[in-house]
Amino acid sequence: MGKLRYFIALWAAKLSIVALKITRHNGTNFPGVLALKICPQFLKYSDKPEKIIAVTGTNGKTTVCNMLLDMLTMDGNKVLNNKMGSNINSGIASSLIYGSSIFGKCKYKMGVFEVDERSALRIYPYMKPDYMLITNLSRDSIMRNGHPEYIAGILTKYIPKTTKLILNADDLISSAISPENSRVYFGIEKMPGDIKECINLINDMQICPECHSRLEYEYLRYNHIGKAFCPKCGFKAPKYDYAGINVSLDDMKIEVRDKEGTGCYRLLNESVFNIYNVVSAVALLREMGYSHEKIEGFFEKLNIVGSRFDEEHVGDKTLYRLLAKEKNAFATSRVFDYISTLPGDKEIILMNSCQGDMKHWSENTCWLYDCDFEFLSGDDIKNIVLCGPRRLDHRLRLLLAGVPEERLSYAEKETDAPGKLKLFDNDNVFVLYGTDSIALGKKVADRVLDMMKKSAADGKGGEE
Amino acid sequence: MEKRIRIEVLFPEIANLYGDLENIEYLRKSCPEIEVVETHLTEEPEFMRETPSLIYMGTLTENGQHLAVEKLSQYTDKLIEMINEGVHFLVTGNALEVFGGEIEDVDGSRDCGLKIFPTHAKRDMMNRFNSLYLGKFDGMDIVGYKSQFTHSWRDDDAEGGAFGSVFETKRGPGLNPDVMGEGVRKNNFMGTYVIGPLLVLNPPFTKWLLKEIGAGDVNLAFEKEAMEAYDARVKEYSDPNTGFYY
Repeated sequence: MGKLRYFIALWAAKLSIVALKITRHNGTNFPGVLALKICPQFLKYSDKPEKIIAVTGTNGKTTVCNMLLDMLTMDGNKVLNNKMGSNINSGIASSLIYGSSIFGKCKYKMGVFEVDERSALRIYPYMKPDYMLITNLSRDSIMRNGHPEYIAGILTKYIPKTTKLILNADDLISSAISPENSRVYFGIEKMPGDIKECINLINDMQICPECHSRLEYEYLRYNHIGKAFCPKCGFKAPKYDYAGINVSLDDMKIEVRDKEGTGCYRLLNESVFNIYNVVSAVALLREMGYSHEKIEGFFEKLNIVGSRFDEEHVGDKTLYRLLAKEKNAFATSRVFDYISTLPGDKEIILMNSCQGDMKHWSENTCWLYDCDFEFLSGDDIKNIVLCGPRRLDHRLRLLLAGVPEERLSYAEKETDAPGKLKLFDNDNVFVLYGTDSIALGKKVADRVLDMMKKSAADGKGGEE
Repeated sequence: MEKRIRIEVLFPEIANLYGDLENIEYLRKSCPEIEVVETHLTEEPEFMRETPSLIYMGTLTENGQHLAVEKLSQYTDKLIEMINEGVHFLVTGNALEVFGGEIEDVDGSRDCGLKIFPTHAKRDMMNRFNSLYLGKFDGMDIVGYKSQFTHSWRDDDAEGGAFGSVFETKRGPGLNPDVMGEGVRKNNFMGTYVIGPLLVLNPPFTKWLLKEIGAGDVNLAFEKEAMEAYDARVKEYSDPNTGFYY
């Protein structure tokens, strides 16, 4: 009966794909949702690629997944993926439907899937990844994810015992997941700019997992990401199997050393969290048997996905479009930190009101007080435009973070925010949007771009 | 400020989820003379040497709850003595369960609080309960958030004496979804399931608390802006069209 239901679900879902194509609704989760509705155990009965790679973790999984997908495709593989859909069970189901024949036979030998951490219980009982890369675990949505210890518990419970784990040794939360599984660790050795004391509001790894004394760090990047040890009991973070070394932001290069040699890789972005993404991807591909030389070649041809990071120069001004996930204090703090380190004077349009919550209830704003808005208090940030329904909350948070009132501007609607920019000479404008507001962020950024082009055409820098 | 104010924050290295520590930071920013003492898991609590003006503990992980109970269990008598003497406590989120009785998980496992208050909690880690909160305190509107794996119930026949509620609920759940009373109050002990920057979100309540602990009539940090955000939120949460559950 189960298999019959599976085929009914598969055929119904396949028909829905045709209907979606006719109505120009490609790339949705609907086929997977429909299939799971008809056959709740659809994933169990689905034929799957011979080799499956799962990428999970709080931050960076989309970027890493896209990198891996691009690189494995460059190598000539036909790779099934859920890039166009969601990273929950219905997204995985949709991918398997797209990738299967009418008789349910999987047409792909390899699959790379981004998997939401919280969805582990609905996916891993039916899909056993050969490799799983866990980027990191940190605080995420308070409502959905609670706290990272909780997510680590879910992953440990549901990750198949046969899956080889590629883990971040510089994150003591995710590196302790599924202790019985075969594993390798990646990390980045000491580099310029490292600190020893956490300066962030969130630090979820302050006590030794063995004796509960205060942990210390040989070096720390942000939050709890760094090399920890316990001065009391001698506990140490795991050793790196894949060590990022000799990071050079001037040359945009990093070396990755393992037991068989060292490769030199192109960095796609100077932010530390993206450097971790590079090292993690190298570690996974090395585990799959690729040589350093081959992976180096892949990296030379890679680009970061546009919806996550994008910059455009118009005359003397630069527009940055950056994803700053709403309700994710950890990720947004990384973006704020990154902005604060860039040279030049800046303006920011902060579009961090959650668009989805606006429709159903009212956003839980606790995350604002986990998020390091203090990074925005520097004198180089000349103007922050607050907009959307939570702008009063953002204003109070920024004032408490030490941002002077005179550097704040207000627009009720996001689309009116560009009008509050000063567009001074050599301005760097950051449009920060959330996952719920990617389209709106593009609209706002396009408006800023038009203003910049007009300003350049008029041959003036704008207001001082 | 009328007198020396000392606030003891219990275990900030683990009791710090959801922006809870901003509660004390906001008091300090509003009243810079306030002395904040942090007590860590490996230290003897400050309250064993000197009674603070306010003892604060924020939301923890489930493992953190266990560690806090383990640490505080050797000081239970002192905690009861301080509560009976009227020492001020503010306890937010699931930290209130540290002071209650048994915590029963749906998987059958059990943990236990300090049993200072006759309550028991039920925990379901696969079902997180999320809501907004609108309540009343001494005539003031209280707004906030709840996001938790547990709810608590009173054990009226257990030891520990009677206790009241902190807030009277207008919208959202109380100590559990079936009751209007929110939190645990006895004398000046206030434990509430409301999480996060409760004091930032509720400037009238914060002014009341500062007066209670002896700081007098204090102008809060960015009081005007905090009041504007508060008024907007009270209006929003009082609107029956605003959904309350996530």
